[in-house]
Amino acid sequence: MGCSSSLPGRSSEQLGGLNNNPETNGVSDAKNLRVKLVLLGDSGVGKSCIVLRFVRGQFDPTSKVTIGASFLSQTIALQDSTTVKFEIWDTAGQERYAALAPLYYRGAAVGVVVYDITSPESFNKAQYWVKELQKHGSPDIVLALVGNKADLHEKREVPVQDGIDYAEKNGMFFIETSAKTADNINQLFEEIAKRIPRPSTSS
Amino acid sequence: MADNNKAFLVEHRRRDSYGFALRPQHIERYREYVSIYKEEEGERSSKWKNFLDRQLEYGQSCSCEEECKEKSQGETTECALESVSNRGREGDYSSGKTSDSDGSTKCGPETVLQLSEEDKEEVQCMEELKNEVQSSKEPQNEVQHLGESGKEAQHSEQLQKDVQLSEEPKIEVQSAEPRDLQNLEDSQKEAQFSEKLIKEVPPSEVRKEDSHSKETKASKIKKWSLIRPSLHAIENLMSFRVKNSKEKKNLHIAKAGGHLPLPKEMESQTEEDVEEEICVKEILDENFSTSAETSSENTEATKEPFFPWKEELEFLVHGGVPKDLRGEVWQAFVGVKARRVERYYEELLAEELNVGESDGVPIKWKRQIEKDIPRTFPGHPALDDHGRDSLRRLLLAYAKHNPSVGYCQAMNFFAGLLLLLMPEENAFWTFVGIIDEFFDGYYTEEMIESQVDQLVFEELMRERFPKLVNHLDYLGVQVTWLSGPWFLSIFVNMLPWESVLRIWDVLLFEGNRVMLFRTALALMELYSPALLTTKDAGDAITLLQNLAGSTFDSSQLVLTACMGFLAVTEARLQEMRKKHRPAILEIVEERFKKGRVWNDSKGLASKLYSFKHDHVPLIEEEKIGEGEVSQLNTCSSNLDDFLIGLSNNSEADSLPDLQEQVVWMKVELCRLLDEKRSAILRAEELETALVEMVKEDNRRELTAKIELLEQEVAELRQALADKKEQEYAMLQVLMRVEQEQRITEEARLNAEQAASTQKNAVCVLQEKYDKAMAKVAQMEQRVVMAESMLEATIHYESGQARAVSSPRSMRNPSTSIESPRRRISLFGLGWRDRNKGKPVNEDSSDCTSSNDGKDSKTLLSHNNNKDKRQQD
Ligand SMILES: Nc1nc2c(ncn2[C@@H]2O[C@H](COP(=O)(O)OP(=O)(O)OP(=O)(O)O)[C@@H](O)[C@H]2O)c(=O)[nH]1
Ligand SMILES: [Mg+2]
Repeated sequence: MGCSSSLPGRSSEQLGGLNNNPETNGVSDAKNLRVKLVLLGDSGVGKSCIVLRFVRGQFDPTSKVTIGASFLSQTIALQDSTTVKFEIWDTAGQERYAALAPLYYRGAAVGVVVYDITSPESFNKAQYWVKELQKHGSPDIVLALVGNKADLHEKREVPVQDGIDYAEKNGMFFIETSAKTADNINQLFEEIAKRIPRPSTSS
Repeated sequence: MADNNKAFLVEHRRRDSYGFALRPQHIERYREYVSIYKEEEGERSSKWKNFLDRQLEYGQSCSCEEECKEKSQGETTECALESVSNRGREGDYSSGKTSDSDGSTKCGPETVLQLSEEDKEEVQCMEELKNEVQSSKEPQNEVQHLGESGKEAQHSEQLQKDVQLSEEPKIEVQSAEPRDLQNLEDSQKEAQFSEKLIKEVPPSEVRKEDSHSKETKASKIKKWSLIRPSLHAIENLMSFRVKNSKEKKNLHIAKAGGHLPLPKEMESQTEEDVEEEICVKEILDENFSTSAETSSENTEATKEPFFPWKEELEFLVHGGVPKDLRGEVWQAFVGVKARRVERYYEELLAEELNVGESDGVPIKWKRQIEKDIPRTFPGHPALDDHGRDSLRRLLLAYAKHNPSVGYCQAMNFFAGLLLLLMPEENAFWTFVGIIDEFFDGYYTEEMIESQVDQLVFEELMRERFPKLVNHLDYLGVQVTWLSGPWFLSIFVNMLPWESVLRIWDVLLFEGNRVMLFRTALALMELYSPALLTTKDAGDAITLLQNLAGSTFDSSQLVLTACMGFLAVTEARLQEMRKKHRPAILEIVEERFKKGRVWNDSKGLASKLYSFKHDHVPLIEEEKIGEGEVSQLNTCSSNLDDFLIGLSNNSEADSLPDLQEQVVWMKVELCRLLDEKRSAILRAEELETALVEMVKEDNRRELTAKIELLEQEVAELRQALADKKEQEYAMLQVLMRVEQEQRITEEARLNAEQAASTQKNAVCVLQEKYDKAMAKVAQMEQRVVMAESMLEATIHYESGQARAVSSPRSMRNPSTSIESPRRRISLFGLGWRDRNKGKPVNEDSSDCTSSNDGKDSKTLLSHNNNKDKRQQD
């Protein structure tokens, strides 16, 4: 890293490539944003289901266990006629896979931390991930806290207010979703898109 | 069965022949490959049959010995035949279910369909076979054996082929002794042919139990079956490998004593690896007697005369294991027989059931297993409730068996896969072999080896595909984002199933992770041209993910992997792992030191990150580092000895802190040595990197120039094209002008022509005029003549009259004569004026009146009027 930038005669673009900048904020131009987004959270909270709902519009109650991580991308258009291409890394939820998570959240512009509203344990895990991202994620990372499986309200164990409070305390965007009913799934990504810092004219 | 088939028919479009779900976008591709797969399968099953038949023949002489051995090992084989008759490989797994789903256990719906179709064929084949063999005057009953044994269609088909195509088979059939055939038959009995089977082997109580009663679950779980005798030779070969590595492990456990996972792991791993390496080499060299240790420990094994075919076996494995043999062959490869401890699996399960949560498998693993069971090959026809029970039992038993691993996501898929191919307990032991040995340290809490392998792979990538890695670096893509999941899942769900199974064939045969690396490198090789065209990170990842997912050409993949990366050997990998392991351990140690497992998990990422910028060939580093490495090794082994001494003397518990400290210091020392080494290396690396970058820079500049020039050329071309266009336009205009010119010329000619005709006309007119004038002249002359005649007449008349009348009367006529004269001259003058002043005789004018009657009359009347007025 150091050596590459000390070499003269490199265009800024090349520098960016070597310094991982293209993925840091993933900006291609002011009207067409490219955003690296990472989904974190306990196993089984529905990360993969959220992504599949968002990207393919489907809900598969028997999704596959995610091993390591899997990648999907989806582009949305906003009302101000900008497009946002989400490059989504859906990570594995089991605790031991956390060792690999930095590989995926490094350079991510957006971190979406998911918990299951029927599982207080998953809410604790979510808080761990928030801290981890605050500590080791990109400094200007946009964080979202998502309480999934909102359709299972009769089994709810994490009050909405807990989510709201925690998110507010940490300057995050908060939303409750259901991958099953598609509730708030698109809203989640649209809200994130709105919160992404727009590039200055330079890049 | 029929109902089932219908259900499969509906389902089978979305599932492959193994019963696994196909991605919608791959259904078409898969369909294209089905026939290829079938063809390949036919080929390989005949090859394998040929091979195994020879094994049987060959092994016949030693079969007694084998059986003795089996007995001596205290296995259930009181009677070889009995155990063999229990063998129905799927029996156990499918036994948990109703009998109608038996068929689907092993093969997916499609195979079932195929098989049922082929069933008919089979009958035909059998008939043909009978005829053939009959005509060749073989003893009838042997053939009958074959016919009734419920062999699979493929086998019979292939047998038929043998009979038809070559003359060998006769000999084959002959040579295989009746007893062997019996064994073969039994061993090949398939669940889906259970009816036949029951007919044939009524004494097999266990089987009846399996297929007809559900309540005896417990007994089913315990079920263990041996693999077919023809595979015994392979099994023995591999068992030997297992025993060897077991000894090494025991040796280490004895040596290490204490139970501190971290440093011991590091220490023992390296040594163990090396020794394992030797062991593998020995097997490959077919030279066991050289190693004193092994020969003394495995006297039986050294007697085995089977090893000349190892190379042939390897070749066959690269070509793939036939579907119907796969489960058993895999067991043979993993050396299940040598691993198995009688009643161990049952006891694990019994404990788990009885002890409950406090002492059993930790709740977090249990929960995770519960979460993952429905998400393991969801919808697979064989994974119904009973299939899931098997899966749960297997995973729980393993978690209990090896608490250092417990349960890790990904293992659910492996266990599921194995359960589809073999009975539950066999699957358990195969699973144990894979996870405990081939993937030792991979799925543990820290996943150390998995992380190490990623560093190694990254390095191999840089070495093998510098251009691709550069491109990916430029895009900001890390290879390990994708290779990590590939390795961890052993390609399950990452590639089409045919390819996954082919890779597993080789991986289990080799008994190490070399095939993981080779396959991943082969994928990169296959897809790097496509990857090099990508323009952003997302596209590159999506592309690679999708391309990998549609690698249906399994033979190409395996061939590329096995032949294209021969330099990637276990020895080489061990070297590289040794180099990278400290970096990972350092991170783990850090966490260990802080006493927080979930603390800083940036390890691999940061290491990889710094790695990205080290463009250095390995070999150099190795050379430089060698000295220190050996130093480091001796150092740490000394420490190890010291540590062992400590733990032995103090019984570990009295000085846990000291022990910990020693461990810590050892690790620290390793780290420092490593740091020193890497500092030296780093300097060189940086230099090389610098040179590389400068080179690259030049290259970039040149490319930029080329681009510029190309752009100029393009511009010039454009200009040229523009010019040409203009020229053309001009030409067009010119042509138009010319045409116009031609038209005007024509017009001019026309005009000229017209003019000449007019001239002609003028001439004609002139002529006419001249003629007319001539006539006029003639007329005038006549007039003059007439006048003179008239005058003469007048003169005459007047002479007469003068002579006759008075002077008075004479006057009047004179005036009357004068007046016409005047008139004529008047007329003559007027006419002369109007016509070209032709000199006219005053006298001649008088004659006109008489010449032109009418005119003269009017003139005369006019003159008369004048005269009258004059008279008035
Ligand atoms: N009722 C309900 N169930 C859901 C919802 N989202 C997911 N699920 C269920 O939760 C299970 C787990 O979802 P996944 O998306 O696989 O969970 P994950 O977070 O990706 O888990 P890992 O891959 O293990 O990290 C699924 O099988 C679904 O049945 C939801 O919104 N509502
Ligand atoms: Mg998932």
